[in-house]
Amino acid sequence: MNNSLTKVMIPVVGLAVAIVALAVAYFVISAWWSQPPPILGFSQGPTQPIAFMHSVHVGQDAIDCQFCHRTVATDEAAGIPPVSQCMFCHDFGRIDGSQLSAEGITADEARAEVQKLRDAYYGATDANGQQIAPPSPINWQRVYRMPDHVQFVHSPHIQAGVSCSQCHGDVSKMQVVEQATSLKMRMCVDCHRQNNAPTDCTTCHY
Amino acid sequence: MTTLQFQENPTPTTQRPPRHHWNMVVDIDRCTSCRACVIACEAENNIPINTEDRFTQQRVNQWIRIERYWEGEFPNVKARYIPMLCQHCDNAPCEPVCPVYATYHNNEGLNVQVYNRCVGTRYCANACPYHARNFNYWEPVWPEDFRNYLNPDVTIRSRGIMEKCTFCVQRIRRATRGRQDVADGAFAPACVQACPSDALVFGDILDENSKVAKLSKNERHYMVREVLGTLPSITYLKKVEADAL
Repeated sequence: MNNSLTKVMIPVVGLAVAIVALAVAYFVISAWWSQPPPILGFSQGPTQPIAFMHSVHVGQDAIDCQFCHRTVATDEAAGIPPVSQCMFCHDFGRIDGSQLSAEGITADEARAEVQKLRDAYYGATDANGQQIAPPSPINWQRVYRMPDHVQFVHSPHIQAGVSCSQCHGDVSKMQVVEQATSLKMRMCVDCHRQNNAPTDCTTCHY
Repeated sequence: MTTLQFQENPTPTTQRPPRHHWNMVVDIDRCTSCRACVIACEAENNIPINTEDRFTQQRVNQWIRIERYWEGEFPNVKARYIPMLCQHCDNAPCEPVCPVYATYHNNEGLNVQVYNRCVGTRYCANACPYHARNFNYWEPVWPEDFRNYLNPDVTIRSRGIMEKCTFCVQRIRRATRGRQDVADGAFAPACVQACPSDALVFGDILDENSKVAKLSKNERHYMVREVLGTLPSITYLKKVEADAL
């Protein structure tokens, strides 16, 4: 009865299955060798609690990376600045975002983001000026995550003169910071070999 | 921002002349078997808690242990203690048997275990004449309160991975990072630091003035199972008999 329909459906279904299988294989192989293709949100950085824009701070204002990430030259971690350090520029009577001229964000939106920062530092208040939330640190989301068996230390890299952008990309152009390099072991080892840096396993794995 | 200077034909670090050769001296005469080293090691290196049933199953995970031996018959019994840990043999039996090159010797005299290479064949543990290697038979778990006590410098080894004493390589890296020379005694592994009677001494044997280099020439020195030719990096100093003095 449906013989003619079946004859049509078999190649169609077969083709669809083949296309899905090829797409999955392409995704897995490309993710294995470099970075996953920029679909399904793989190219996007995580959504941060405050829409902090590196493109404004680094690109327009030309603030040095180490002004905020202060421990990068001395410690393992580059360090996220405490809220009080943001308030150095963003306290009441100082920069509140209305001076902003950036793509994709209005001055009002920028003011709202800076207000989130001040709420985190002083504690949020309601319309009557009554405090409704205690001061709290900002729960920034991690963008670069190393596997557990890798011990990466920032300080020797900075002291050897590696620029931040070599791994972190051109942050001055990023509105939302995303992972710019694959962080595969080949990337580390290639650079270490070229620069006569140690390639012993215990340099990173212990 | 500076750019990197690329060199034409750099020497691989594995072929450079060694700058350090880390050695340890264990003075049996000073050891009181207090086991502070065992606890310090477990705390430093994120070793899962050894419960009673792991002892009865003989699957204890201890990177350093105190072996106890009784000598003599009842009225004249003597207790003997010997701290036993990875000997970091220069001619290690565990290294050639690894099919995936997960354990090898680096140019600082360390017998290195690479966790991310290990596939858990346990050949190395069978080859080790000192029983210094431990296998993770279970996924490591800690009580919830311990979450913030774990050492961030040390990888947490998952189930199916061989592990052993690393001479606290995380401390070595931290101390030698960006430095040409490290003063003798500037840092020590956790067991050495914890030892209340200074029975354990750690240092660089290439430095002739180091405490380790001097102690390892002591007349009481010996190496455990020296006849096997494993060339251990740990020198033991024989106990001084009180009744022989």
